[in-house]
Amino acid sequence: MSENEKKNVIIDLEESERVQLGGRSELESIDTSGVMSVVNVSDRSRIWNVKVHLGDSRGSTDISKESLAAGEVDIGSKWESRYKVSVDAPIVKLSEIFDTCGDIDTEDPHWAYVSGKDNPVKITLSIKNETDGEIDNIILNKTVPPELSDIQILSTKSGHAEYDEGTKQIVWKDFLIYPHEETAIVIGATGVIDDTEPRSAGEIVLTYRGEGQQRSVLDPDLTALTEFLMGIETAETEPNQWECTLECSNESDLIVRLDKAEVFVTPEGGGEKRKMIDASPSIEMTPNQQWKASFTVASKETPKCTQDLLYTPVRVVTKRVLGTIEKAPQIIPVAKIDYIKTFDPPSVNSFDKTPVEVTIEVKNTGTAKLNEITIIDNLPGDVMPPTSEHVTVWIKGKEFSGPFEFIIDPEDQEPEKHHKVTFTVKDLKDSVGEIEPGESVKINYAVMAWRNRPEKEYPSPIACSANTHPAGIEAEMSSPQDGHKLGVIYKKRAISTKKAINKGANAGEYVVVLVVSNNGEVTAENIKMTDWIPAAFEYVSTDPEDDHPTITKVDDGTNMVWNWTRMNPGDQKKMKVTVQGEGEYERREPEVTSI
Amino acid sequence: MLVNLTGSDRLLSITYFGHTSFALESKGTVVLLNPGIWENKPVVPDDFSARIVIATNRKDDAIGNSAAISVNSKAWFLGNKETVEKATEQGVKPWLLHVLENEVPYEVPDVRITPYNLSRIDEEKDGRIDNLGLLIEIGGMRIGYLGDTTIRGPFELLEMDILITPIGGGATFPVKDAVSLCIDAKPRIGIPMRWTSEEQPMKFSKYLEQFGQGTEAVVMQPSQKLSVQWAAGNEFRYELN
Repeated sequence: MSENEKKNVIIDLEESERVQLGGRSELESIDTSGVMSVVNVSDRSRIWNVKVHLGDSRGSTDISKESLAAGEVDIGSKWESRYKVSVDAPIVKLSEIFDTCGDIDTEDPHWAYVSGKDNPVKITLSIKNETDGEIDNIILNKTVPPELSDIQILSTKSGHAEYDEGTKQIVWKDFLIYPHEETAIVIGATGVIDDTEPRSAGEIVLTYRGEGQQRSVLDPDLTALTEFLMGIETAETEPNQWECTLECSNESDLIVRLDKAEVFVTPEGGGEKRKMIDASPSIEMTPNQQWKASFTVASKETPKCTQDLLYTPVRVVTKRVLGTIEKAPQIIPVAKIDYIKTFDPPSVNSFDKTPVEVTIEVKNTGTAKLNEITIIDNLPGDVMPPTSEHVTVWIKGKEFSGPFEFIIDPEDQEPEKHHKVTFTVKDLKDSVGEIEPGESVKINYAVMAWRNRPEKEYPSPIACSANTHPAGIEAEMSSPQDGHKLGVIYKKRAISTKKAINKGANAGEYVVVLVVSNNGEVTAENIKMTDWIPAAFEYVSTDPEDDHPTITKVDDGTNMVWNWTRMNPGDQKKMKVTVQGEGEYERREPEVTSI
Repeated sequence: MLVNLTGSDRLLSITYFGHTSFALESKGTVVLLNPGIWENKPVVPDDFSARIVIATNRKDDAIGNSAAISVNSKAWFLGNKETVEKATEQGVKPWLLHVLENEVPYEVPDVRITPYNLSRIDEEKDGRIDNLGLLIEIGGMRIGYLGDTTIRGPFELLEMDILITPIGGGATFPVKDAVSLCIDAKPRIGIPMRWTSEEQPMKFSKYLEQFGQGTEAVVMQPSQKLSVQWAAGNEFRYELN
């Protein structure tokens, strides 16, 4: 019989570990159980009185007895006993890194999609063999969520991976992992989400085998009986001299180990039995193999011999660990923001100077927590920008006194220029905590609308952005370039002039009364009034004196020019100009201009 | 700029009583402005001692108990024609009355008051009534006091150290017009008055800080006193108690 044909009873330990991992690859539960089998591989011999001896090796199991009685195991049959094993961790460590922004290298992966953008997803799946033996029969199935497209297997350290578009599964298999080695696969994809509902990153199921390995420390042995022939032949070699031969033969097709052979002779006159054979051959007997042992004894009658043999079919122990790891899908939230920008008042009077409160509130309308917010507000011309120390910030409804940046470019207060106001608050996780969904960052500052003209438009577009930690693609929301116009209320301008030419007290003297009134709804500025004195007359004086005009000689007489920087609605100026001359005082209407 | 003041001839003390009522005092001369009745109560007691009492218009929140104060302390009562007429009706003796004419200064030792015709909105009749704005030169300071004005008149052109301006809206300037005037007139300090909500003086102060281009806002609470002086002859200093 060749070595391969030797038949040994098999004690098989097949232990299974079923592992549940959470979305972040954290161990949630592990359930380990085993099936201990005694397999009679014989083609023709039963085994019986089968006992499995476990001794002190039951430590991590729920087996209470040192020996388990398996009874009779028929040809080709097996006996099974189930047990539980307590372990802390599986023999294989599975981890998934689902990075929603694989294009930007960070210490920790990005964990949120950005709504409305192409998210460059990178999925890294790692499997590590934590044992001293090989792990084989590995099959990993990764479910690819429907919002991912352009799925690519970027790299595999070992084995073969394929993406099945129909089942939306990535199957990675055909490899083994050597002791304490790790392997990985990297998958690339593009994630596009248009709403804010958190998404599943797809579950993973990993199956594997650790041949020759076990989770328990069971060290089983076996005793049993099988077809085994034994007897004592007594032959008289000389008168009253007997040769007694213990003969045994393995009648089974199993390997049987003879552990002990004892033969006792009962004295003729009675008395205590004498042990004539005391052997521990520990011989493994192949089918039909015989074993003999003899002794001689003097006796007048045929000696009465009894034997005590201890044998058992030889067993081998086989063992393996079969594992299944089910990783729950990571839940991927979605980052999204919205904003509200208001002017108070929303409109200003034309040609006036009006403080305007600008309030911008950026709200987290997604499902991801936000760590930083940036607001860029573009102030139009004819607006004096705020100073950087006069911004008020509220986060989560409370005034915020932590660090933030407020930059005005250019850094001046010239209202003629356009200004860009940039507000940034970062690292909120380290101050007031990240902005939860539904919470907001609000800023307020004042600008001074500066003599805005009614025919002009004053758009003040805004761009807001937000990011998670670690920072990846920004969630953005912005207005059109011509958005958020500061309204200008057109106030009618109406400057009127009235003129009277009255005779003065003296001959040739006239008193010209000029009244200029702002009858409009808005303050007039840079008012210029011009009146004319005929050539035959000379300017003498003005009452009140403070309102004396600028006198300019012209071809046909003299021009009087008054300038006022400002006239409010309802304001009136009245001057009495005394002139002296000869002849008739020709009347021309005064001219008035303003802005 | 808050500093300890030292003695100086050019020293002015401004006391705020609330609404539009102020007392300016320098070298013993007290000028009381608009001791009005506000929320049915006089903001200045009848026995307040002043040398000059001025009401900038005839409304009760301006003229208030001016007559009683003027009579009790034998103070001059100044106002425009219709205000003086009302004061007469209220019992101010004729020899204490003086009608202020537009841009015609009124002078007593250490004090020069130049009135300017402004106007306030008559909220009852939906029109306008006359209101005087005053340029008061006292204690080496030039103080613009707008009373209950809704227009700025010539005040943007006047050189002033202090501008006292209404900010409450309604009959008078809202905050924005008060700030706008301060920006244009560039006084050293702007003092708000006649606010109707606590938010208004805060905004006035905030806007002047940002856009005042050198003008500082000093918000006075009733009963607070502001001391102002030219220290060392040319350094403007003030201290709010």
